[in-house]
Amino acid sequence: MASSDSTALRSGETVVLLGTKRGLFTVRSRDRVTWECAPTTLDGTRVYNATLDQRGGRRRIYAADNGDFFGTFLRYSDDFGQTWQEPERGIQFPEESGLSLENIWLIEPGRPTEPNVVYAGVAPASLWVSEDAGVTWSLNEGLAQHPTRSEWQPGAGGLCLHTIVPDHSDPQRMWVGISAVGCVRTDDGGKTWQFKNKNTRAGFQPDIYPEYGQCLHRMLQHPTQSNTLYQQNHCGVYRSDDGGDNWTDIQRDLPSEFGFPIAIDPGHPDTVFTIVENEGRNNFGEQFTVYRTRDGGEQWESLTEGLPGGGGVRLGVLRHGMATDSHDPCGVYVGTNTGQLFASADGGESWHVAADFLPSIYSVTVAVIE
Amino acid sequence: MTAPTTPEPTAPTTPSVLVHLPAELRARTGEQASIVVASGDMRTIIAALDQAFPGLRFNLCAETGELRPFVNIFIDGRNVRFGSALDTPVAAGSVVHIVHSVAGG
Repeated sequence: MASSDSTALRSGETVVLLGTKRGLFTVRSRDRVTWECAPTTLDGTRVYNATLDQRGGRRRIYAADNGDFFGTFLRYSDDFGQTWQEPERGIQFPEESGLSLENIWLIEPGRPTEPNVVYAGVAPASLWVSEDAGVTWSLNEGLAQHPTRSEWQPGAGGLCLHTIVPDHSDPQRMWVGISAVGCVRTDDGGKTWQFKNKNTRAGFQPDIYPEYGQCLHRMLQHPTQSNTLYQQNHCGVYRSDDGGDNWTDIQRDLPSEFGFPIAIDPGHPDTVFTIVENEGRNNFGEQFTVYRTRDGGEQWESLTEGLPGGGGVRLGVLRHGMATDSHDPCGVYVGTNTGQLFASADGGESWHVAADFLPSIYSVTVAVIE
Repeated sequence: MTAPTTPEPTAPTTPSVLVHLPAELRARTGEQASIVVASGDMRTIIAALDQAFPGLRFNLCAETGELRPFVNIFIDGRNVRFGSALDTPVAAGSVVHIVHSVAGG
């Protein structure tokens, strides 16, 4: 496996970044059929998330480098993962807060209209903002000082802010997902935050419809209808058509309420992909399956062509383990906890192995080189 | 022509300790494996390390100032966790080893 190399990147090329239990990898293709997988120099640490940001004339990779011993760092690279820089002022809590950074869960580029803005979500649950493309970072105090914060409880992965959805239609509005708090929205640019969990279940609590305490796993915004959101939850799959004020369960005939990832076809945004799992956090039944709706969650269909099945198949996919590209038909990418990257170049109709024998995959993001 | 005089070696003005740094932090230390710093308590030594290699303190300590749970510091072979932690005094001439906890089994 040759190391990653940015010099040969071409416009139109598809680049998948894989954050894994042991390092960050790149997987590239010019035809979405044959793939080249390469390690970066970010090696040996837990990379929960990485993203290639092409806004503002840059081609910058941001990565969440969660060390086992010597701390957690956000790093960025302008040479496709060969060398890395640390922020001048990184993600570190004020000493007087009594908090210490555990893991960085997500790095989310801001809106296209604000090319220097980047967001990060971490554990303990908090939102961080950079307005200079990752060089300096600040804590969002509105969420950090939320009056209910002392009552927030962690999920199995810790009390983590893992989902950030900057509204593409309103620079003052944003949603975040926290486990196990749920969906939280700001309408005033992050000064104040309100829970938006109505009709989403917390089946593991005595009151299954609390104001907060839900275990939201992943949430996305419809690319053109700004009030439409989808979320995969610990307890169901949901859609909102009013910006999160109300949620409707769209699990329908999916065989399990539990799953982590969810993804949208950006060119056909009523098409949504998800994966649900059994109690053991593996594929439901003996066939590894991606599920797709093409009508916004009215009906789901099973996609299995090229995906493995059989008595020995036990694959899990984490919350950041699925992504879609901007081609049409869209590519769909699924990374497993057993180190396979499955890819589809036809909107999920058929699948092939794009990379294998990797460490357990934590995150999959994809970019088409501009 | 008068031969130039060779200056006498200068004695250290401050009692010093030798600190061995772990391989995992060599990117931070510019591949430097050890450094001599002024004696003091362990907290002041970490401050000196952070001055020499900016950011190193965050590798060793959380924001709260506490030593990270899987970082061990030995002063002349004694783990500071079983003494006064970062308040442990480090006498001149001591040797400090910074290592991470055993992993893998």
